[in-house]
Amino acid sequence: MTTATEARAPQSVSMRRILPPIVTGQEVVLLVVLAVLWVLLGLFTPAFLTPGSIGPLLVQVAPIALIGVGMTFVIITAGIDVSVAGMIMVSAVVTARVLVSYDVPAIAAVALAIVIGAALGALNGVLIAYGRVHPIIITFGTANLFLWLGLRVFNSSTVNGIPSTLEFFGRGAAGSTLGVPHSFAIAVLAVAVAWWFLRYAKAGRNLYAIGGNQNAARLAGIKVQPRLVWVYLITGALAGLAACMVIATGTSTLDQSVGSGKELQVIAAVVIGGTSILGGRGSVVGTLLGAILVQTVVSGVTQLGWPTQLGFLFVGIFILIAVGTDLIRERARRSRA
Amino acid sequence: MKISRKIAGALALSAAAAVVLAGCTSRNDTGSSAAPGASEGASTEDLTIAFVPKLQGIPYFEAMNTGGQQAAEELGFEWLYQGPTTADAAAQADIVRSFIQQGVDVLFVAPNDPNSMAPLLEEAQAAGIHVATTDTDAPDSVREVFVNQASVEGIGQALTDTLLEAMGGSGKYAIVSCGETAANLNAWIEVQEAYTASEYPDAEIVDIVYAGEDQAMATQMATDLMNSHPDLTGLVGECTSSAPGVAQAVQDANRIGEVFTVGLGTPQSMLPYLESGASSGSILWDVEALGYLTGWAGVQLANDGDLGDTSSLTDESLADVEYDEASGVLLLGPPTVFTAENAGDYDY
Repeated sequence: MTTATEARAPQSVSMRRILPPIVTGQEVVLLVVLAVLWVLLGLFTPAFLTPGSIGPLLVQVAPIALIGVGMTFVIITAGIDVSVAGMIMVSAVVTARVLVSYDVPAIAAVALAIVIGAALGALNGVLIAYGRVHPIIITFGTANLFLWLGLRVFNSSTVNGIPSTLEFFGRGAAGSTLGVPHSFAIAVLAVAVAWWFLRYAKAGRNLYAIGGNQNAARLAGIKVQPRLVWVYLITGALAGLAACMVIATGTSTLDQSVGSGKELQVIAAVVIGGTSILGGRGSVVGTLLGAILVQTVVSGVTQLGWPTQLGFLFVGIFILIAVGTDLIRERARRSRA
Repeated sequence: MKISRKIAGALALSAAAAVVLAGCTSRNDTGSSAAPGASEGASTEDLTIAFVPKLQGIPYFEAMNTGGQQAAEELGFEWLYQGPTTADAAAQADIVRSFIQQGVDVLFVAPNDPNSMAPLLEEAQAAGIHVATTDTDAPDSVREVFVNQASVEGIGQALTDTLLEAMGGSGKYAIVSCGETAANLNAWIEVQEAYTASEYPDAEIVDIVYAGEDQAMATQMATDLMNSHPDLTGLVGECTSSAPGVAQAVQDANRIGEVFTVGLGTPQSMLPYLESGASSGSILWDVEALGYLTGWAGVQLANDGDLGDTSSLTDESLADVEYDEASGVLLLGPPTVFTAENAGDYDY
């Protein structure tokens, strides 16, 4: 609600007063938690804080953080996209088939994957913006459509012998420069651009207004529907790019489990990152930190030699804490208003 | 939940329609299954053998289907193949029911949930259908035979022997398994633990982790294991998604020749790693031969033939078939170890 009024604030009010602080409390908390975890893991495992361990961890985080940027946009507008796994599957299987059958350069494969993802995302966006049905229903429907489409392309067999064309995004030596994994650098770049966009661009500020109160935003002259189409289209395009990373970090065989469960991992990262599931508030930096935190917990549990199932327990606790603090904050704000 | 139920319902309906249509011809064969002791070939004209896999559309069961179809052509029966699109016990039960209704002669099931399948198999038997399991058993059921791809001991020991041979008979290794409750994987792991302890006293299993059916997760966990155990020299990928996953992790970490891997992977998915040396061997069985054997066993059941008489199985891939009358298990033989030399010969 407050953001909607802010968006309509007269130009004379200085930007500094409207904008939230550069770093939010949630991000600071996440940074501290991450730092503590990394130090503890560094102390109690033989090699957690070595390049051979952190590098692969960041590669594993990259696709989640990347899609997380789009998902943060979506959730800020009070929407949700549960069709991410399906979009990854369709993009990955088509791209992998093309890589196996034709000798295409990496850039063409990446472009193809992004275009496929964007097209599927645009379908989501149009249905949500103009269908006026809740996004969870629409994307639940399209998720099943995309899975059907993906399985059609798989045609009852795995895609075998995928060449190493996309090794630029991979976990191996070709996937990093000076120790920095390329895929993670791309994710950070996407986060940086999105951070600027959400903070300083008018279209970006509009997203908060839409999530705060869609009707108020419409009355304020914001073109709600085209904005929503764009938000879902971008999420799809990022899922397409992430599919390239999934191919590069996977094996030379692609099977129908590709992408499975990614939508929940992405939503977990966004929620832990402090974006309100109710819409109207959120940050992409938090999402990046959330994604790193989740993978740190999973890898940490393995490296400590603890039972794998504990990873689910810890991630679950993080999500509940994040959602809990968000709801408490929201209630405090309402009682003040 | 509602939606998946609806889809399952629609699938079951179309499945029922399909088998009813297909069944029109076989409905009038009353004599064939009753013909006592007739030699195969003569009485198999109108014989219908149905196979319900756990899941339709994955390479494993498609390869079994190929083998079954081949048996149908050679031995002369009708082979019906229909499974659920997700590994769901309820959807599978619907398909089994439709086959019972159609009145097939022999019904093979690879049950997703052996316990809930047992009463259905009883129902089928009461309707005069020969019931049997293949790939996965339903031990406490009325099934007449279980066509077993490889014994639990055979797989556990082949995995251990192949890995320890590469590791030089000693050292630390870890297992990247998949589903934490998957009964067959856990049974193999138990054998690996016992067999390693008894046969390789200088070797040790340091950790067992569960990656689900997620290749990327299996790769990441294998990477984490290599980091947390710097002296680790072996990794086992316990299912078809983690077998190439652990090999990929070794390749990415540039540690081929230092860390050795084995796993249960399909030949095509393992071929690049077997060639690069990231995998020292893949343990599986000839899936098409398993499908063929299933079809053959169906013919024997329908004709009250002798399952122990394997003289009519002439193909090389079926040379080691054994029948154990007491447990009613028809065993394909010892598992196959795929290497860089022979993996390319298989197209699944």
